[in-house]
Amino acid sequence: MSHAFHYLDDVAIADLAFDASGDSLQELFQSATCAVIEALADPTTVGSTWRQTIERTAEDPAELLFDWLSDLVYWKDAAGVVFNRSDLTLTRQDRGYWKLTGLLYGEPVNGSVQTLRADVKGITKHLYEVKQEDMRWHARVVVDG
Amino acid sequence: MKLNTEMQVNQISDELWEIPTSEKEGMLVPARIYATPAILQSMDVGVFEQVTNVACLPGIRRYALCMPDGHWGYGFPIGGVAALDVRSGVISPGGVGYDINCGMRLIRTDLIREDVQPHLDRLMTELFHRVPAGVGASGFIRLDRLSFEDVMVHGARWCIEWGFGWHRDLDAIEEGGCITGADPSKVSDQAVSRGINQLGTLGSGNHYLEVQVVSSDRIRDKETATAWGITGQDQIVVMVHCGSRGFGHQVASDYLKVFERAMRRYGISVKDQQLACAPFASVEGQDYFSAMNCAANTAFANRQVITHQIRKAFATVFGRPAEEMGMELVYDVAHNIAKVERYSEGELVVHRKGSTRALGPGSPDLSPRYRMTGQPVICGGSMETGSYLLVGTEGAVRDTFASTMHGSGRTMSRAQAKKAARGEQIQKQMKQRGILVKAVSMSGLAEEAGFAYKNISEVVEAVDRAGITKTVAELRPIGNIKG
Repeated sequence: MSHAFHYLDDVAIADLAFDASGDSLQELFQSATCAVIEALADPTTVGSTWRQTIERTAEDPAELLFDWLSDLVYWKDAAGVVFNRSDLTLTRQDRGYWKLTGLLYGEPVNGSVQTLRADVKGITKHLYEVKQEDMRWHARVVVDG
Repeated sequence: MKLNTEMQVNQISDELWEIPTSEKEGMLVPARIYATPAILQSMDVGVFEQVTNVACLPGIRRYALCMPDGHWGYGFPIGGVAALDVRSGVISPGGVGYDINCGMRLIRTDLIREDVQPHLDRLMTELFHRVPAGVGASGFIRLDRLSFEDVMVHGARWCIEWGFGWHRDLDAIEEGGCITGADPSKVSDQAVSRGINQLGTLGSGNHYLEVQVVSSDRIRDKETATAWGITGQDQIVVMVHCGSRGFGHQVASDYLKVFERAMRRYGISVKDQQLACAPFASVEGQDYFSAMNCAANTAFANRQVITHQIRKAFATVFGRPAEEMGMELVYDVAHNIAKVERYSEGELVVHRKGSTRALGPGSPDLSPRYRMTGQPVICGGSMETGSYLLVGTEGAVRDTFASTMHGSGRTMSRAQAKKAARGEQIQKQMKQRGILVKAVSMSGLAEEAGFAYKNISEVVEAVDRAGITKTVAELRPIGNIKG
């Protein structure tokens, strides 16, 4: 994966924070998704035998990103999986709503073959922001780990 | 003295500092920070901002407090304490934390280091096998929804009923391991799905299971230590740090959303989104309190099941029943919780986030076993430096709503710690120093390096000198399991 995100050294002393960006909102969502996936485990060590489609709509893209990233954390525990990648599309709907369709790929946790990292437990609103600046979308996310 | 804030910070005593209400618009009470001058100087700007934000919450009484292990959290600082009136005040998930009833548990043994050292590798392997840790770990207990609801309502009592512990364990758990008022109908299906398979698991991050040694020269209060079965002479004890896992996190996330909407309805504004709150007496406030109690009870049950597994691991390795090895529970404390307690101001909902209840001798809220001594307070340090056993005091009841520190507190972010050292290197160095570490994630191990934490001895000294707890014993690690 080579999406635009980097983990932050000086934010969220006890947990994990990252900045993600993209030329479009969809690219931003993909970058932020990769940041969460890579925080959980090295995706190159994770297979894709498990799949889950997720659809969400929201008026505010910041809320949509927050809910989508929270979905990743939810499925990690509910299905006991870590992720390899996600394919997602973001489309503008009527009345200003955004619709996200995401397909998550992963496999059940298996520490003997996967390089596991942090057990991300929640997406927080601490310092959370999604903004467009200089024609590029940016998000700052602090996750509780 | 140079501090990481422009606010006026007045010295009240050698270990107590106060930020007056004039320093931030909306502060209803002063903010008080317990710290030595050196600790205060090292505190990040977030502590000062967040503790003064907490001082603005409707219905707060006396002071917003921060303990010496305080650092930047979400909404409340870690180490934060606030007591709010049950009629006019609010309840805030930000004052409890995502990991509801994250807490500490200490188990004593009759074993000494000489008994354990030759078998330490096997013991740690057995513990690592029996107590799952790390990302996505699930426990050995399989529950249906109704049984999981029983866990939410009955907490550690459910475990005893099902054979995961001894009846007398309940006397050694805060609230007897079962908080009343838990209502599973206030918990989402998502929270249930996340938590139903996680009973008996450690998690990751700063959660751990540690085999420790208590040497006689590290016991500061022999009388109290003896009363709790801590005898020194290189005695082996086991410490557990974990909470309600994904279940509690989902409860917190669910209700932060509910409270964002509720604040608009009740006309409440807060300085930070993570302080989202609702009147304690409102439907939303009571629903959260009921759901939070479900998570708190589940955390008590989680630590109880882990205790059962620890006893089984010791029995397997040493070939004797756990009872014969004196594996009694010293105590179990919550350090992320909100509870209704009575003080001179009346009934208050006391939020402790990274802070431990510290009831003094004679407290009617303690089981008879601890009424003479006061409540044990278990404080975890970094995996390299050791931990402490303290005792609650009347001073804490008088000054801090019976609250004290919970651990050492970080000074370095996880990302910085990972850049400074590799997990494999830390594991090797610790082995050379006589501490055997088993970790699911090497990057997770690097995040928990000792240099990323404050010196716990300085933190303990601060609360001891402030009189809000007294030091009983220092515990040194010889084996550690991390997620």
